[in-house]
Amino acid sequence: MSTLLRTVPYVWRNLVRRPLRTGLTVAGIAVATFLFSFVESMRDGVRRATEAGASETTLVVYRQNRFCPFASQLPQSYASTIARIPGVRSAVPIKIVVNNCRASLDVVTFRGVPEEGFIEGKMRTVRMVEGSLDAWKSRGDAALVGAALAERRRLRPGDRFTAAGVSTWIAGIFESPDVQDRNVAYVHLPFLQESAQRGGTGGIVTQFNVEVEDHASLEPVAAAIDAAFASDQFPTTTRPESAFVARAARDVLAIVGFASVVGWASLAAVFALIANAIALAVRDRVRDHAILQTLGFTGGTLAWTVMLEATMLGLSGGAIGAAGAYGVLRAAGINFTMEGVSIEVTSGTAVAVAAIGIAALLGAVAGAAPAWGAARREIVQGLRAG
Amino acid sequence: MAAIECRALRKDYRRGDEVIHTLMDVDLSIDAGGFVALMGPSGSGKTTLLNLLAGIDRPTAGSIAVDGTEITRLGRGALAAWRSGTVGYVFQLYNLVPVLTAYENVELPLLLHPLTRAERHRRVSEALELVGLAARHSHLPRQLSGGQEQRVAIARAIVTRPRLLLADEPTGDLDRESAAQVMDLLARLNRELGQTIVMVTHDPATALRALRTVHLEKGSIVDATVRAEAAP
Repeated sequence: MSTLLRTVPYVWRNLVRRPLRTGLTVAGIAVATFLFSFVESMRDGVRRATEAGASETTLVVYRQNRFCPFASQLPQSYASTIARIPGVRSAVPIKIVVNNCRASLDVVTFRGVPEEGFIEGKMRTVRMVEGSLDAWKSRGDAALVGAALAERRRLRPGDRFTAAGVSTWIAGIFESPDVQDRNVAYVHLPFLQESAQRGGTGGIVTQFNVEVEDHASLEPVAAAIDAAFASDQFPTTTRPESAFVARAARDVLAIVGFASVVGWASLAAVFALIANAIALAVRDRVRDHAILQTLGFTGGTLAWTVMLEATMLGLSGGAIGAAGAYGVLRAAGINFTMEGVSIEVTSGTAVAVAAIGIAALLGAVAGAAPAWGAARREIVQGLRAG
Repeated sequence: MAAIECRALRKDYRRGDEVIHTLMDVDLSIDAGGFVALMGPSGSGKTTLLNLLAGIDRPTAGSIAVDGTEITRLGRGALAAWRSGTVGYVFQLYNLVPVLTAYENVELPLLLHPLTRAERHRRVSEALELVGLAARHSHLPRQLSGGQEQRVAIARAIVTRPRLLLADEPTGDLDRESAAQVMDLLARLNRELGQTIVMVTHDPATALRALRTVHLEKGSIVDATVRAEAAP
């Protein structure tokens, strides 16, 4: 083992003193790993937004067979009916106004919420980073803006902000663990209803967010809500929040499914790049390897140096690519929003570590065949080469 | 006691259906501390014999014992370990690793030995000092002259303190002055450190620097000359 460790500097010098070959190979691996990390982050964001966790206790009540906040119209009076259903902890009517109903990277979503229910419910789970809740309560046109939306639109407390015909005053910016919160602006429900009243929608909301007692109650409560309004003028469809997001994001899910092919193709590119670089390196160094064997290097030690070089290439290219993707995603703050729901593409350390690990592993695998060939070559043949 | 004992050594190569007999029943004994020059025309089997003595090629038949170790019976791994501890090899074309400095080239064989970094440094410095290139330790091979490269190669060959130093036409690619420096160095290693040396050469003047000259022709030893004293 110690012999193998003593050869590490030799392998390192082989890499750094052939800067053109190493630089080009590492750059190629970095680009491929960047793509892979980016796609995986996107998949990760979709997964987190659409897969139900064991702790999920939120239902979304939407107008049946409607798929856009513009079309989903429910009477605000449904809230009291929903609140009486056994298993329901709270029901918050929400009016949603978006500036674009289709999938986009810069959708502004306003959620009109009743002051009392909002403070008791949502505000317990978020953290104010700028401005204050008191400022929001003090003005009818005030908005509390999620951190991701604030960063994207460069919003600060005290700014006026207009989108989708709704003009608000920024009272505060908050951070939330829920991606749906980070990309919306919460405004007072009456204000949003009034702003949207040009279409005669006073007393009308887009959806109800219903908190149930526990995760097991989700399905029976959803069924009970839909049954309560089944014969009403405005029938409902009630789903767990993650399922609601998954339905709204179905187009993006299809795109992400396709993008995963790009991710795997990127890994294939990493493998091909390293395999090509190492195969050429071993071919160029047949004589060097014969000299090393003459000095007493065993086939195993020689194979180790080849595989270590391939692994180092994968590791360094992978690290650069993964770090690049991490930095770009962190700086860009990418959110897909469609039909008023958001999917956040965030840079996670798990994805970065996995990308680096996979690139290093692919390096080792790509180096295996050339390493085996180098280890088995006869010394005299090698000395005659070149 | 003989350092090297070759008995009925034979090496055949196959080229298509043709079998080429490169060495035929060679018997050779070399005493410890000896300095032997192998001479002969191209294709006479000099380098093949040297490679067999170095354990980098296998004989078709016969035996080679070096300090009592029958190397033809060693497996690949054991033979590599034996080379690492016993043999220093100097090539005609120096064969330094191009991306390593003179110091790093000389250090290479020591990486296989359980030595501390400080001990490796001491040995490499001594070897470079011995060949007169301590000041060039940080130079890459392309920054050295042919003679300097060959002296670095000799430092690399002796840094592990091998019992046997083998040199394949060590002056074959050098000008007269550099060749003389290299031969002076080999003669000094033999005379002052008692290093056993076997050297292949085409040049009769170079062969005179050895204590014994063995002539090969068509794979067989045809003549041997022993001198009481090597030429200066």
